[in-house]
Amino acid sequence: MSDLKALIEAVIKGDINSATAETQKALDSSNNAQDILDKGLIAAMDEVGVKFSKGLLFVPQMLRSARTMQECMKVLEPFFQEGDVTSKGKVIIGTVKGDLHDIGKNLVAMMMEGAGFSMFDLGVDVSPELFVQKVQEIEPDIVAMSALLSTTMPSMRSTIETLKQAGIRGKVKVMIGGAPVTDKYAREIEADCYAPDAGSAVTKAKEILGIS
Amino acid sequence: MQPEEIPTLQPQLRVLNREQVLAIHTAALEILDKVGFKMEHAGAFEMLTDVGCKISEGDRLKLPQHLVEAALDSAPKQIVLYDQRGNEAMSLVDGNYFYGTGSDATFTLDLETGQRRRVVLQDVANFGRLVDGLENIAFAMSMGNPENVPVGEIYIHVFAEMVKNTNKPIVFIADSGQDIAKIYQIACQVVGGEEELRKKPFVLNYSEAISPLRFPENVMEKLIFCARKGIPICLPSGSNAGGGAPVTVAGALALGIAENMVGLVVHQLAGRGSPFLFGPNVSTLDMKSTVVSYGCPEWSLTQAALADMRDEIYELPIWAYAGASDAKVVDAQAGAEAMFSIISSMLSRCNVIHDVGFLEYGNTSSLEMVVMANELIAMSRFFTRGIQVNQETLALEAIERVAAGGAGSIFLMDDHTFEHFMRAQFLPVLLDRNRYDSWKEAGAVDMYQRCNLEAKRILAEHQVEPKMNEILKAINRILQGG
Repeated sequence: MSDLKALIEAVIKGDINSATAETQKALDSSNNAQDILDKGLIAAMDEVGVKFSKGLLFVPQMLRSARTMQECMKVLEPFFQEGDVTSKGKVIIGTVKGDLHDIGKNLVAMMMEGAGFSMFDLGVDVSPELFVQKVQEIEPDIVAMSALLSTTMPSMRSTIETLKQAGIRGKVKVMIGGAPVTDKYAREIEADCYAPDAGSAVTKAKEILGIS
Repeated sequence: MQPEEIPTLQPQLRVLNREQVLAIHTAALEILDKVGFKMEHAGAFEMLTDVGCKISEGDRLKLPQHLVEAALDSAPKQIVLYDQRGNEAMSLVDGNYFYGTGSDATFTLDLETGQRRRVVLQDVANFGRLVDGLENIAFAMSMGNPENVPVGEIYIHVFAEMVKNTNKPIVFIADSGQDIAKIYQIACQVVGGEEELRKKPFVLNYSEAISPLRFPENVMEKLIFCARKGIPICLPSGSNAGGGAPVTVAGALALGIAENMVGLVVHQLAGRGSPFLFGPNVSTLDMKSTVVSYGCPEWSLTQAALADMRDEIYELPIWAYAGASDAKVVDAQAGAEAMFSIISSMLSRCNVIHDVGFLEYGNTSSLEMVVMANELIAMSRFFTRGIQVNQETLALEAIERVAAGGAGSIFLMDDHTFEHFMRAQFLPVLLDRNRYDSWKEAGAVDMYQRCNLEAKRILAEHQVEPKMNEILKAINRILQGG
């Protein structure tokens, strides 16, 4: 088994060409795909997360690292049986009904994907009914909702109500975020957590699922 | 010999040359012609296809250059806003500048505790009264979305609250074609009818499209409503560098201008000759926190660029921002960032300059910040008036008197000083120039505390000329859905 140091470094740098080449090299020198994922790609992304939270990296650099990881995953994919890859959890994400803003939501989705979650992005203007339907279909661990406007924030409450009425509120954790959203509001509408920004969305998601 | 009058140079800031202006303008037109945009309002979509916009990829529209030119031709080059008593208040033309507050903050700094807390309706009233009592703040915005009114009617309630607490012009927000109609009813009550409001508008609507190149139905409803009623409107799109737009400000400007031109074209088709303010808000997305910065140099630079482009091409009054900060409290950062945008917006000939008094990238409003900005605007105005040069100000006679006057002769004693000092100097009210000992004796009060006390004083003492009872009753009926 060869050293994954060069791979880790390439992912941190966001150097897609070197990283995919290193992934192939690691496979060629008979590393196990799961090991390359865990000890290479995810280890690299963990370090990226730490560097970002210390203010040593900027968002575009972090996103490039996440994309680099995705490209490496494509190289690894043929070596996994279906269902083999252990995800940190399944997450449905969307901007709530009435709201068409998606920069923040897209950023959260990208960061969570980079951290190892399987993301299902429902887009913008997502009705409570669509959230419910997708929860039934996909059976996610987390439903993540975003709103930019004070006037659309109440859709978060109605989505939670609709999940309750459908009898599936207990099956998922709900996390919310967006400019007008506060921790207090999250408690009021009985969401499981509030994340003030994309970086902490990852940390909070891990917390509510009890994983590290 | 009669001395010739020497013209006074008024310092101005230019940040683009003609080649840069044309290149950005051409890029904006190319975006509209080649990339196209998403128009989600069926009526506006039809208006645009009727005049020659082409449909591509299902629902994207492409807009030819001649439509932009026609819209620029028909939009008025000067817009006049009146106060609520019908007096001319803001003549938006050339380099005339007017500063005012902002809207939609979630939080405010409590005047008593200094704590950040959710906005309530009383805060909107307080900001209205403060604006009414401050000389250099020309118009009011709500400064918050109160948590104690029904969410669906937030903008109607804050508008009514502003009307009750100031007589200055109001820049208002609405959610869609529904609440804007009610706000319009209230505005008509204030001035006595639709015709009066059209002739002497005291309101200006602020609406936002969504970058990149997306025009939602509810936003277009408001745009068309204003065009038909002759209510001035601005329609920035949030083409923030690195967020809704490319990270390089040239591209962000081109995109924002393209989006602004779509708004203008629809607006002029819906109400030819109706007043429209030019100006996308082009700030920058912070690359660590991903907030849209309210204290960055980029926003000041882009609006200076837009003013240059207005002078060279568009000729429309321009929408801008200043006097805000990313700081969480009224500290040195808040003062530095507020001053940077206040002086640069004035030097670059922006017209309607909003967001004065914001902290925390527009998420928190502060009465103290508004009070501080009021003084910073006065300081900037003094600077931008330049130096008047004539016999009186050259003061050769005074120099001669004092120089030849023998022992004890000082300028402070001279009549020239007595006659001129009030106008010759900037006389600060809140900025402290006391000697150290007297400052300490008076309690060693810092700028934040002085602004806090001044805000409290104005709220306690300033009398807003009240509206007539019938008007207030009519407003309450509208609020109650009558």
